[in-house]
Amino acid sequence: MGSQRAHLWFIGPALILMVIILLIPIVIAMGLSLTDYSLGNQGAAFVGLENYERIFTRSTYEKMFVATFRYVFVVVPLTVGLGLGAALLIHSLGRIGDLYKTIYFLPVMAALIAMAIVWEFAFHPTIGVINSTLERGCGSFLEAWHWYAKGCARTFPLWLNDREYAIWTVSFIGVWQGFGFNMVLYLAGLTSIPAQLYDAAEMDGATRGWDRFRLVTWPLLGPTTVFVVTISFIRSFQVFDMVEAFYPQGGGPSKSVYVMMFAIYEKGIQQNLMGIGAAITVVFLGFVMVLTLIQRRLVERRTHYV
Amino acid sequence: MKRTLTAMALVLAATAATADSNGEKIVVEFGYPYSHLFDVTYEAILPKFYEAHPNIEIKMRATYESYEDGTNTILREAVAGTLPDVTMQGLNRQAILVEKGIAKSLEPFIAAEEDFAKDGYHQAMLDLGTFDDAVYGLPFSISLPVGYYNMEVMAKAGYDETNLPTTWEEVVQACVKLRDAGVDNPMFWGWNITGNWFLQALMWSQDKPTVMGNDFQLDSEEGLKALNTMQSIFSGCEMQNLEWKAALASFSAGDLGMMYWSTSAVGAVERAMGDFTLVTNEYPGITASGPMGLPAGGNSALLTSTSDDPEQLAAAWAWLKFITSGEGAADVARTTGYMPPNQAANEIILADFYADNPAKATAVRQLPLLREWQAYPGDNGLAATQVIYDGLEGIVTGEFEDMTELQEELSDEVQDLLD
Amino acid sequence: MSDVIQQDTPATTFRFNTRAALTHAVLIVGALIVLLPFYTMISLSLKAPHEIMQQTGGFMGSQQPFRDDFCVKLGNAVEDCLVNPIIYNYTTAFEKAPLLRYLLNGVIVTVSIFVIQVFVALPCAYALAKLRFWGREAVFALVLFCLLIPVHAIALPLYIMLAKLGLTNTYAALVIPWTISVFGIFLMRQFFMTVPDDLIDAARMDGMTEYGIIWRVMLPTAIPALMAFGIFSIVAHWNDYFWPRIVITGNRDLFTPPLGLREFKGDADGDNFGPMMATACIIVTPLIVCFLLAQRRFIEGITLSGMK
Repeated sequence: MGSQRAHLWFIGPALILMVIILLIPIVIAMGLSLTDYSLGNQGAAFVGLENYERIFTRSTYEKMFVATFRYVFVVVPLTVGLGLGAALLIHSLGRIGDLYKTIYFLPVMAALIAMAIVWEFAFHPTIGVINSTLERGCGSFLEAWHWYAKGCARTFPLWLNDREYAIWTVSFIGVWQGFGFNMVLYLAGLTSIPAQLYDAAEMDGATRGWDRFRLVTWPLLGPTTVFVVTISFIRSFQVFDMVEAFYPQGGGPSKSVYVMMFAIYEKGIQQNLMGIGAAITVVFLGFVMVLTLIQRRLVERRTHYV
Repeated sequence: MKRTLTAMALVLAATAATADSNGEKIVVEFGYPYSHLFDVTYEAILPKFYEAHPNIEIKMRATYESYEDGTNTILREAVAGTLPDVTMQGLNRQAILVEKGIAKSLEPFIAAEEDFAKDGYHQAMLDLGTFDDAVYGLPFSISLPVGYYNMEVMAKAGYDETNLPTTWEEVVQACVKLRDAGVDNPMFWGWNITGNWFLQALMWSQDKPTVMGNDFQLDSEEGLKALNTMQSIFSGCEMQNLEWKAALASFSAGDLGMMYWSTSAVGAVERAMGDFTLVTNEYPGITASGPMGLPAGGNSALLTSTSDDPEQLAAAWAWLKFITSGEGAADVARTTGYMPPNQAANEIILADFYADNPAKATAVRQLPLLREWQAYPGDNGLAATQVIYDGLEGIVTGEFEDMTELQEELSDEVQDLLD
Repeated sequence: MSDVIQQDTPATTFRFNTRAALTHAVLIVGALIVLLPFYTMISLSLKAPHEIMQQTGGFMGSQQPFRDDFCVKLGNAVEDCLVNPIIYNYTTAFEKAPLLRYLLNGVIVTVSIFVIQVFVALPCAYALAKLRFWGREAVFALVLFCLLIPVHAIALPLYIMLAKLGLTNTYAALVIPWTISVFGIFLMRQFFMTVPDDLIDAARMDGMTEYGIIWRVMLPTAIPALMAFGIFSIVAHWNDYFWPRIVITGNRDLFTPPLGLREFKGDADGDNFGPMMATACIIVTPLIVCFLLAQRRFIEGITLSGMK
């Protein structure tokens, strides 16, 4: 009967497209990583593992790993946590929650370049809204805090251009931009939890909110959580648009925001060194693959599927 | 012999094109950057061009987002086989396209012209687009570094239009006086402008090119002087590491007293500034006699047509020539913050214009100092630019304090990339 | 019996209201932080250039007429070129770039992409979630691997492939690379796995084909997930700036909405922020409308699918 091979029809188109659109280009990139190809050249010379050697010895690439890890390990927990929190609160409100849902999802819907410009204005060291609000507090008790007093003396920090602050500012904006995404996913997950389970739990004595969460909500959100954490992880490793919008050249003050995707773009497209760009891509994929496997092993084990 | 034949063929084709022999329009595909700035320029030029050449039509492609985007687009199109006929590229981006054989030499066309110099193309200007003794690009819009001064802020330290700083030492002194007068952030210096422009400005100020052939010249006396000058400016003025948009905002709001940037931003500054008097003045020199040379910024027109049809090429050349000379060139000054590097345009057509717009006249006065905006040769050229950028940033943030050490490090790393 | 309930009600209502009030309070504070940039974006789209750069003028700006440089540059007298900020910003947004055309392109491209994605992803997700076959784990691992691949890394090889086929500067070039959504496959698989097997077995016993099961049994139970998938796909491709920029170089008639913003960039020579922000406000509006409509279907979808 056809259903024996039905699965081939189902996965066929997806597989073919995956191979043509995603895998073949990656294989091409891997091939290019062993050459010194530059766009516009007639040919390319084979250079073996020279590009990879460069990556692991030059100091700029060390900054690449540091920046990427800092970003990922701030943004993932916060976007998942805030997304879950917002989803739970909104879910408990019923129809009124629609307004909040739209508001919280707005950052995801806005064009990033425009948002980057707006944030740049907001973070301007003297006339931006953040620092000018901080300056209002000058001359008050807040000056007892050493950091505040220093800010009042000259200017408050250059949030986007000081290498102590830049990566954290960018991470904050990343959280602002991304938690709405997770919120929508969690809302979808919450709506698929059958109400009878809550009634059953209540009859068994779980009346407090925390108990309901612990016994019903959280376990049944398992599959959603797996998805949300995996996706957040991967997306934050792939952060690029925001970094390019703020720092089109150089990847932040002293390269403190020089995340891996930006390095790929900088080398491969901006500086037209496709060989090295492709090599960083391969290293990137290797890294993310290993980390995703670890993370999935940890999370999937505890997931409860129906 | 071959060249003469080509020249003759092209002359014939050119005559044919203007004689409107077959009534069909020849379409020239054209790409340029910065729609926001140059749309109005081409809008002003087109009617005049169509009057002179009714049988040629200019088809505008999607504009480039920036000079960098322009070069990347041309490279991609070269691979895809969809190059335009004429493209505008940043002055320091011409070299890449010449090296890869994408830009075509303009020598045959120039040779076919009767009196090229008469049209105002003087040698210094042609040098900007000359590679290996052949002209590949004709400069279209030129900018030079200038100083922007907020006269009300400068007055707090006792400066007026007659005694503005003329050397970097005087700039530092002005900074100190301004800080004493209560100005928190007296100055901004555009070290972060694209293509290491300001480093090249300091090198040319001492009449030294930044790159000669394949050799990076930072490991010279002049190089060390340039780095030391930068360090003294940044530390003497306690300059904040602002990004350009933030600096422009600060200057417009009246926070900054002095700002050193390209003259091309005059329009933006005038549009954005608050209620104060803006004066632009010559770029200070390292010695009292002022800079000996300054790098030109801006873009030039290149021929990238892959067509073999002589009529097509002649039409492209007609467009190229029109926009870089005469009224076409004059429109550059009228509509943007750039200058046309065309002598005839500047001296004859625009004399009154500059009288009415003194802020733009400063750059014109500096025209005799015009020098090349150099690109680093080879595939690693752009990577070299980034390495230097990072080094300069280190001076601003105070990460690098020993300039001799920095000079050595940068020279080694960049030379390594260029070899 | 009724006494007990009556006694309970006031106390329960009181507790419920405090809880709701607290929830609202927290959500409102959050909303203020989230909305700050949007407040600024709208405000900037209403102001004149000098007010934008100096960050003065409150929310609306003082609405004093200012000199439109472009009009002056084309040779008109200064008096004829004084414009009101709001009018200038919004009309320039529509005139400088064919914004309506871009919006239309946005609709065509995002809808085409999503429809194809659904037809490719849903069957695959079903097969991975509910059917047992040799190589299932391998295919799923492949899906996960493909999730890791960032578009910027494959952009240039893809561009070259499309160029060789002569497809650059076409709608096809904008749509084809996105027809495979591994994100969608992964998402729908997660949701399909929560559907009880009995439902499917029952459908099979009723004689439904596997293909029918996908669209008539699985899909209705996963409407919220499908809505989420749709929202993400449409938002992501509506706002995509990178790929259209790479693949459309000849004619800007095929640009998608965010590219309307690039008309106002000037970088070192100064950007034109007013119309840029006006464009940003305009292009986000259809998405908001879409989202609100989708929410309605969200609720309907839940009630339709019934309680499991």
